[in-house]
Amino acid sequence: MDTRNVAIIASQELRISLRSRWVQIFAVVFAVLTLAISYFGMVTSIVVGFEGFTRTTASLLNLVLYLVPMLALAAATSSFCPEQGAAELLFSQPVSRGEVLFGKILGLYASLAIAVLFGFGISGFIVASQSGAEGVSRYLGFLGVTFILLLSFLCLGALAAVGSASRIKALGIALALWFLFVLFYDLMMIGLVGLLDPHSARAAVLLGLFGNPVDLARVAGLLMLGGATIFGAAGAALVRTFGSTGLAATILCLLNLCWSVAFVTVASRVLARREI
Amino acid sequence: MGPAMMNGSSLARKMRRRVTYLAFGCCLAFALPASGRTIAVSPAGPVRSIAQALRSAADGDVIEVHAGLYNEDVVLDRSVQLVGAGNVVIRGTGRGSVVTVAADGCTLRGFVIEHSGSSLMNEDAGILLKSRKNRIVGNHLKDVLFGIYLLQSDGNYIADNTIHGRPQLDYGDRGNGIHIWNSRYNTVERNTVYETRDGIYVEHAYHSVIRSNRVHDLRYGLHYMYSDDNDFEGNIFYNNVAGAAIMYSSRIRFRRNQFLHNRGFASYGILFQADDHCLAEENVIADNAVGIFMEALNESTLRNNLVAANDLALQVFTSSAGNIFEKNNFIDNLSPLELEGSQSNNRWNGSLAGNYWSQYEGFDLDGDGIGDVPYHIENVFEHLEAQLPLLRLYLLSPAAQSLVLAERGFPVLETPQETDNLPLMKPVTMDWQPQDPAARPPRRSLAFTLSAMLVVLSLAAFRWGVHS
Repeated sequence: MDTRNVAIIASQELRISLRSRWVQIFAVVFAVLTLAISYFGMVTSIVVGFEGFTRTTASLLNLVLYLVPMLALAAATSSFCPEQGAAELLFSQPVSRGEVLFGKILGLYASLAIAVLFGFGISGFIVASQSGAEGVSRYLGFLGVTFILLLSFLCLGALAAVGSASRIKALGIALALWFLFVLFYDLMMIGLVGLLDPHSARAAVLLGLFGNPVDLARVAGLLMLGGATIFGAAGAALVRTFGSTGLAATILCLLNLCWSVAFVTVASRVLARREI
Repeated sequence: MGPAMMNGSSLARKMRRRVTYLAFGCCLAFALPASGRTIAVSPAGPVRSIAQALRSAADGDVIEVHAGLYNEDVVLDRSVQLVGAGNVVIRGTGRGSVVTVAADGCTLRGFVIEHSGSSLMNEDAGILLKSRKNRIVGNHLKDVLFGIYLLQSDGNYIADNTIHGRPQLDYGDRGNGIHIWNSRYNTVERNTVYETRDGIYVEHAYHSVIRSNRVHDLRYGLHYMYSDDNDFEGNIFYNNVAGAAIMYSSRIRFRRNQFLHNRGFASYGILFQADDHCLAEENVIADNAVGIFMEALNESTLRNNLVAANDLALQVFTSSAGNIFEKNNFIDNLSPLELEGSQSNNRWNGSLAGNYWSQYEGFDLDGDGIGDVPYHIENVFEHLEAQLPLLRLYLLSPAAQSLVLAERGFPVLETPQETDNLPLMKPVTMDWQPQDPAARPPRRSLAFTLSAMLVVLSLAAFRWGVHS
């Protein structure tokens, strides 16, 4: 694989993506939402007057958990299944399919990361007006978790897109994946835990966590923002399993990166075998 | 021969001394009937040790100790005022207590007291009180096992002392900062206690008032055991395992205390165990793992408290019954209630008003300030979680939230109906302004710069990306 080719495709993808109205609109909407959440959070926290893990942080986390996977999946499908002819033109160039895949993912990732960065920066002004130095580092940690979640869903979106025959099919699959990972997976786990006996339920919950990038991001984010005590007895189990809170968050982030690697690997296999 | 002579001469000396004392005593009786003499102690002499001064002192005397280091254990066996002038350090022998007060009505003021013994069984303390009506004021205790130990000691006034324990020991091996055992009518105020076992420990003690103390970085800030009819007010407890642990006690009344930043795995703002007829008013319970824990708390009233920013606001065992919650503010707690058991017998609203819950999503059409829809405090996810603690790993997950929404629309699961029938639409205003002692000043400039950098960076990257 030629890194120069990857860089060329990545910069082209970045350009296309940043010029697209969808990414621009997303950046503005994301910024407005984070701004609104942190503003209203600030208003209530002035009433209370105590800093802590508050609903502001919880709402920000929720926004990220809902929006970021959706954005990444949508961007990946629309990029990997472009209008008739564009893909054929690109794949007919003297670059390998792997280079196209990596380049596109890198370019997309850079453009979406810029949008997320913009939103975090804008609402950072409001968060800044009420938090201490500790809050700043937690905010940056949260930003990191968001970036990791973005990557894993971008890779998942790429896999869905290269594996499906048409643009419509790819969008449908992306939507289904979003429902699966954001909603159904956890609902199934919660249901499953109710059915199992306590001992195997314990293992199921801990292992089940690793099967979903959204869960990995959520738990890592909560560990960074609120510490392990936020999970009560379950948090104690996490710390006992991993050694410490920081280590637990790091391992969860690494596992999330593993998911990205897995998705990309499968996607490149699928792409290599595919008729274009 | 020799011994006889010595006996003779010592007898004569004793006689002489007695005559002197008698004369002196007569003088005193006429000249200074109330206030007694003042005896000065100084490293420069003539009286070089406190013990020496005490031997010559009578009830009502003042012993003024001048700056310096005194290596001795002191036993106040007569009713005197022991006053430190300047930086006076009493360094104990390291066996037993440094200062023992055995006579009634003593005053101990203005000393640095350090290096007590290390026996928990012998109650080795910085200051050990075994008598009544003493005043212990403005002392600084450090490197002591127990700080101030009240052993069957009534009517004392303990104020403005600072007590620092032995942080190198485990909690179980340390003593308590102020330990009150089998004593009545004591007043403890404006003391600072840190890094001991419990800050203020009260066992079999009645009618005490504990006011405006600051207690931090230890196990339980304030710990009552089998102690009825006590009050505490205006204290600040933070960074402890529990702010206050109230156990096996009746009629504990407390107001305007702050229970903050108790953040361990089993950490509580206030822990109630087997108490009754308690009254909590206008306290602040914020940023704890669990705000209020209650097991077998009965017939108590919690009113006008602020419970905010806790991971879990209330952990209630169904052994608690007959309690009433009214006009409290429950704000920004991650979970408002976890009920251990199926149904509790507590009242979540008074006859006129309930509480303010920031999670409440009802409406108020008639505009009387009370929501028209009752508030079910524990939602279905919190209910499941109480039974299977590991489920809390799904805290704040979209799935958990949709479950709660769905259950609200179509209730199929049998969840306990802990209900506030008169939920308030607006927070209750507090008449006092709590101050968070552990709050660090915000680093606004740093955070602002960083935010500006993020925005500029994203805009620059955007421009570069679009035009490259």
